[in-house]
Amino acid sequence: MIHDFVVLCAAGMLVSVLLMVGQKALVVAIRLYCVQSLLLGAVGIALGLAQHRPHLLVTAALTIVLKAVLIPWFLLRVIDRVGIRREIEPYVNVPASLLLCLGLTVVGYRVSLGMAGASQGVAHQVVGVALSMVLIGLFLMVARRKAITQILALLTVENAVFLVAVGATSGMPLVVELGISFDVILAVLVLGVLVHRIVDRFESMDTSRLSNLRG
Amino acid sequence: MSTIPLPVALFAAAQAMGFLLLAPLLRGLIKKMKAAFQLRQGPRLLQPYSDLAKLLRKEPVRSTTASWVFVAGPRVYFASALAATTLVPAVLAAAPLEQAGGILLLVGLLALGRFALATAALDTGSPFGGMGASREMTVGALAEPALMLALFTAGLSAGTLNLGELVRRTAERGTSIHPSELLAAAALFIVLLAEAGRVPVDNPATHLELTMIHEAMLLEYSGADLALVEWASAVKELLFMTLLAGLFLPIGVATSLAPEALAISALALAAKVGGLALLVVLVESTNAKLRFFRVPELMAVALGLGFLALAMRFF
Repeated sequence: MIHDFVVLCAAGMLVSVLLMVGQKALVVAIRLYCVQSLLLGAVGIALGLAQHRPHLLVTAALTIVLKAVLIPWFLLRVIDRVGIRREIEPYVNVPASLLLCLGLTVVGYRVSLGMAGASQGVAHQVVGVALSMVLIGLFLMVARRKAITQILALLTVENAVFLVAVGATSGMPLVVELGISFDVILAVLVLGVLVHRIVDRFESMDTSRLSNLRG
Repeated sequence: MSTIPLPVALFAAAQAMGFLLLAPLLRGLIKKMKAAFQLRQGPRLLQPYSDLAKLLRKEPVRSTTASWVFVAGPRVYFASALAATTLVPAVLAAAPLEQAGGILLLVGLLALGRFALATAALDTGSPFGGMGASREMTVGALAEPALMLALFTAGLSAGTLNLGELVRRTAERGTSIHPSELLAAAALFIVLLAEAGRVPVDNPATHLELTMIHEAMLLEYSGADLALVEWASAVKELLFMTLLAGLFLPIGVATSLAPEALAISALALAAKVGGLALLVVLVESTNAKLRFFRVPELMAVALGLGFLALAMRFF
């Protein structure tokens, strides 16, 4: 029962990433990230309650507050300020990137089969989903031009790593998790400021313009 | 050719009647919920019934250039939708005519209806009809493979292509969730939005001919002909929701004819369809209609999810 729930949430996270690949509106991408973080939080709460690991509850609460509320709110404010609402011309168009991501998911699943202790049961599904999410996140980072999408891709990769830590291992020490959470929030703040600066200078969020600076 | 035994015929007739009678209610429910989201009162819940009754009383006006194809279109569309309802398990974990065929027949019947309506729309030579037909077929050509992939995923996990058998086996096996099921359900939901002409794909409430997809095919229809098409579309929408609920949420489905099991199953089905309707309303209220040339991107997502769901079954 609890395992089914974890697998369901992990699958939901995978669906949210694929939907993120499948469309271009930045607001929707941020909302999808919010849903993804909520699902991660749900995994944490479910496992924390079922296996009596109270520190997982703290982690889950932190995940939900930071990644499902604070970061989406901050990113929404950023795109509101700069007034750029959608990914106009990604390097790889949507159908092609979907195809690639399908391939990446299959690769992620196949690779997870080879991992010791992760070749069956819940761990297999969780590790498979997480590896696929890491690959898709890395792909999104190079395939999209807008800084916000790249930030979201980075956060997706981070969520995937967290999913493995919570779902397939006995979890990280609380101190480490706290450290990572603050790292993430700091990274997002810095990147948010960076987006402002890029938009100020180039009147666009397109990171490919950054190479104009080369002498 | 053997004759159909009486209980099966009764069961089929009852299920088809149920779909026919409840489909307009679903339309009304969706309209009402959508209005609530927009802080309007909206039409009353039973308005679709009144609309249908009014249209059925009116004499259809047909263009002088229309041939029999134009007259046959709505009838074939209606009949195919009605036939499709007898292939899907609803309250009972069995489909009335499941001996006749499974997933492939269902998809084929839906395609037949679409074909009949599209040719009928072309028949009068009205430019909007042709435009609507062309768009409907474009969306249909992309939605159909996604639908088949999603259904095949469910079929593969149960080891059968027969929908009644499929639901029975899923109900027996109990809960053991595989991620592919969620992916297939998501694909099927996107197909549902496309087939029912809901917002990211089509806008059912639009009056602007240039943006219409489904409605553009119906511009030439009036009176009883129009009523048949509207009614069949509502049935199709209910059919897709029942299918989605039956295949991926088989909780509370009655496996016996005991009255209490049937009552629980009917209530569960109503709750599931209500939940799906709410989800459709949420999507409709928070999204704008996609530009037509971006619809293929959405359908590509559905296709991708369906394909992935099927591929994940092998790992």
